[in-house]
Amino acid sequence: MPMVLLKCDKDIPEREKHIYLKAPDEDTNAHLPLSNAATIPGTLSERGCAFCGAKLVIGGVVKDAIQMIHGPIGCAYDTWHTKRYPSDNGHFQMKYVWSTDMKESHIVFGGEKRLAKSIHEAFDEMPEVKRMFVYTTCPTALIGDDIKAVAKKVMEERPDVDIFTVECPGFSGVSQSKGHHVLNIGWIDEKVGTLEPKITSPYTMNFIGDFNIQGDTQLLQTYWDRLGIQVIAHFTGNANYDDLRGMHRAQLSVVNCARSSGYIANELKKRYAIPRLDIDSWGFNYMAEGIRKIGTFFGIEDKAEELIADEYAKWKPKLDWYKERLAGTKMAIWTGGPRLWHWTKSVEDDLAVQVVAMSSKFGHEEDFEKVIARGREGTYYIDDGNELEFFEIIDLVKPDVIFTGGRVGEIVKKLHIPYVNGHAYHNGPYMGFEGFVNLARDMYNAVNNPLLKLAATDPRGERKVAFLEAAE
Amino acid sequence: MTSKLDNLFDYVQERCLWQFASRTWDRTENIEGVLGQVGALLKKQKPVAETPAARLHLADARVLVNDCRQRYDWVDAIPAQEVDLVLAGLKERLLDVTITRSKNRELNHSLY
Repeated sequence: MPMVLLKCDKDIPEREKHIYLKAPDEDTNAHLPLSNAATIPGTLSERGCAFCGAKLVIGGVVKDAIQMIHGPIGCAYDTWHTKRYPSDNGHFQMKYVWSTDMKESHIVFGGEKRLAKSIHEAFDEMPEVKRMFVYTTCPTALIGDDIKAVAKKVMEERPDVDIFTVECPGFSGVSQSKGHHVLNIGWIDEKVGTLEPKITSPYTMNFIGDFNIQGDTQLLQTYWDRLGIQVIAHFTGNANYDDLRGMHRAQLSVVNCARSSGYIANELKKRYAIPRLDIDSWGFNYMAEGIRKIGTFFGIEDKAEELIADEYAKWKPKLDWYKERLAGTKMAIWTGGPRLWHWTKSVEDDLAVQVVAMSSKFGHEEDFEKVIARGREGTYYIDDGNELEFFEIIDLVKPDVIFTGGRVGEIVKKLHIPYVNGHAYHNGPYMGFEGFVNLARDMYNAVNNPLLKLAATDPRGERKVAFLEAAE
Repeated sequence: MTSKLDNLFDYVQERCLWQFASRTWDRTENIEGVLGQVGALLKKQKPVAETPAARLHLADARVLVNDCRQRYDWVDAIPAQEVDLVLAGLKERLLDVTITRSKNRELNHSLY
């Protein structure tokens, strides 16, 4: 089957290179959606910006650092509090937001003095906090504000503080993905190896690419505690700034989100000879496989099997209750990138759910290799999908439930199709054994929610709701 | 032999993230490292895993062999000489699909 040109894309035929319908016996050498490429003019992309990838996804998760956004106030607000990653210190990073609130006069005359003043103000207001991320944004990058120089001067004046700068304005890449990359490489270049961690176990690892969405990190940590493994750093769920400076001392890097955080795992392997183990943390079968591999690496296979048996005994009957009721459900996954390949087989194997369409905002071709190798035939694989394409794909595959983010979720809700937040979750955590039962429960509740049908009914009986009026 | 190779290839494509590492050299290292350990396990030899990288490849290999043992009857009965032939074919096919004919434009970037 060739790549697909949807009817709505007739005026932007370049989109054909980004949409693939898998045919029997085809592999990734036959067709691979073009990805991590600039959005085509004329398409209404759902992507975020590069700054968002650095701040909202990775840096902003760190629980004990001030996140100073050097730019207009909107850049701070729009990357704050929209992704629910709690922490065990009272959710400091979710309670507060910091910005230099740049206005026109600061853009005209330069913002470095304002940045220095804002950094000092923040540290003065929160004297117990000694760590900070500073991000440049589009306007402050365009006027050439040197945030590294400002941070260096502040650190000279305040020797007890440490500041990490992220020079990744929104325009610097084609999507959020560029921000992931810049933060990963910046962190290992400037911070890893600058602090020695206290080693408390003969087994040490980094857990990379998990951002404690609704408690994912904290749930998985219970497994590592039971196995006696010290996680030197979580990159970056529920993480301390200083823990992340000690990543060079781990014996193993375990990677969940390879797209956002594979770079630092690769660099840890190259620079410190720390092997990289990629696992899937969503799904029963996958989670058990990941634990088994970690157990084998450390030579604690028996403990690993005991943990898996305990968790299966506790959660598998609950999962099977949902599996019986969800079997045959048609699911669409429209998320960032990796969840396509993390979820497509796990929902199929563990819940008997069929994934009929998947769209990635910022995945690279590596992500499409993974998902096409794992995914079903007859399923659509889409890079950087736009709104009209979503309407057309829905019409083609008629999903029973769509896992996507808040923005696309609003469209889905207007179409009265069951929707589950695939980014920030409805009621997570979703990782691990317990987490996958939570995912199944949210899917079951979404599919069987009577409100969607009621919402599609006009009680006055005067006119039929125009489902697709936005596309007309 | 072809059907055994097909079984293993289909399993690896569906299950194994190590084949899709970021760069050509990572994929090559993983494919060679894991299949080396798979060979030892299929031949019921004691695996040698004295370095961290070898221990990781053994961890990946052990899951592969145990899963395939449950999926395919032939795994327990395959003669040692045939293991080498099957794995040589599997390595060739994986390198071809994931590297040589891969459409992934990032495989040969010099930096991560």
